[in-house]
Amino acid sequence: MHIMEGFLPWQWCLVWWVIALPCLFYGIHQLKKVLAADREALPLLGVTGGFIFILSSLKLPSVTGSCSHPTGTGLSTISFGPWITAVVCAIVLLFQSLFLAHGGLSVLGANIVSMGIVGPLAGYAIYRLLRDTSVNIYLTVFLATALADMFTYVTTSLELALAYPAETGGVTSSFVLFLGIFAVTQVPLAIVEGIVLALVFKYIVALKPDILIRLNTFSEEKIDAARCEI
Amino acid sequence: MKFRYTLEVLTMIAVAVFCALFLYTSSTMSGAEFTGSDNVGSGRIAELSGIPLENFQPLIPQWKPPGGEIESCLFALQAAVGGILVGGVFGYWIGQKTKA
Repeated sequence: MHIMEGFLPWQWCLVWWVIALPCLFYGIHQLKKVLAADREALPLLGVTGGFIFILSSLKLPSVTGSCSHPTGTGLSTISFGPWITAVVCAIVLLFQSLFLAHGGLSVLGANIVSMGIVGPLAGYAIYRLLRDTSVNIYLTVFLATALADMFTYVTTSLELALAYPAETGGVTSSFVLFLGIFAVTQVPLAIVEGIVLALVFKYIVALKPDILIRLNTFSEEKIDAARCEI
Repeated sequence: MKFRYTLEVLTMIAVAVFCALFLYTSSTMSGAEFTGSDNVGSGRIAELSGIPLENFQPLIPQWKPPGGEIESCLFALQAAVGGILVGGVFGYWIGQKTKA
């Protein structure tokens, strides 16, 4: 989903930076608040951030004849919300811009908006929708993770379509074109990522249920039920 | 006794199906190059804008890994940082639980 350095006109780079910066500042503010309230949240932040580091470095071949990488943002989104996830993603994307030439500093804002903000917001929306229903915890994690992954790539497609509208059909036609490149390749990867992170969440539930309850990730009853369930 | 490893089994099946599909596609699909979708996207930008790919220059100067192997090494380093975090914390939690 990385937009490469130099591939967005500077005006669009500016637009995405203007959107990303307030979200990052709010994320840092929230992060300070969460860690001040409960230092035990720090290891959980380490695990969820660790998965973003691992999964976003794995370029996997998809069944469509192309390669792409998962985002790993689902766990962080569910545990800490989309704004703190944006901060963690910004660190990962900065690392990749500086040392791997994947993405770049001018397009960092655009890449943060897709991977760190819109993707996690989509995952967070489905998580909040299902959190207080009778839907199984692991199914909720699966759906939130897979959606966060998919929407990252949908957003990248939109960012590129807005900057490069097709001569015939304009932004819509260009959007469909980029969706064909990014989103279709991503479908199988998003499904596998969803299942893998649901399994990781099972181990967090087994080892540290108290922190999930204190962060109000899920209710105590749901966490207890999940511990006995699978 | 209740079976407690449903998720583990589901994950293994999903990964196996994913690998099998990849092996099938890579052996049967013509024109499947398995290049990164980021590169394919960049190529499409060049087509849409009518600007040759090599004319896209960084707006902010950027260091590039001096070879594919170095790039792979740095990607592995990134995964290793994540692995250390995840392994370290899970170990810490297991230690806490055992102590308790």
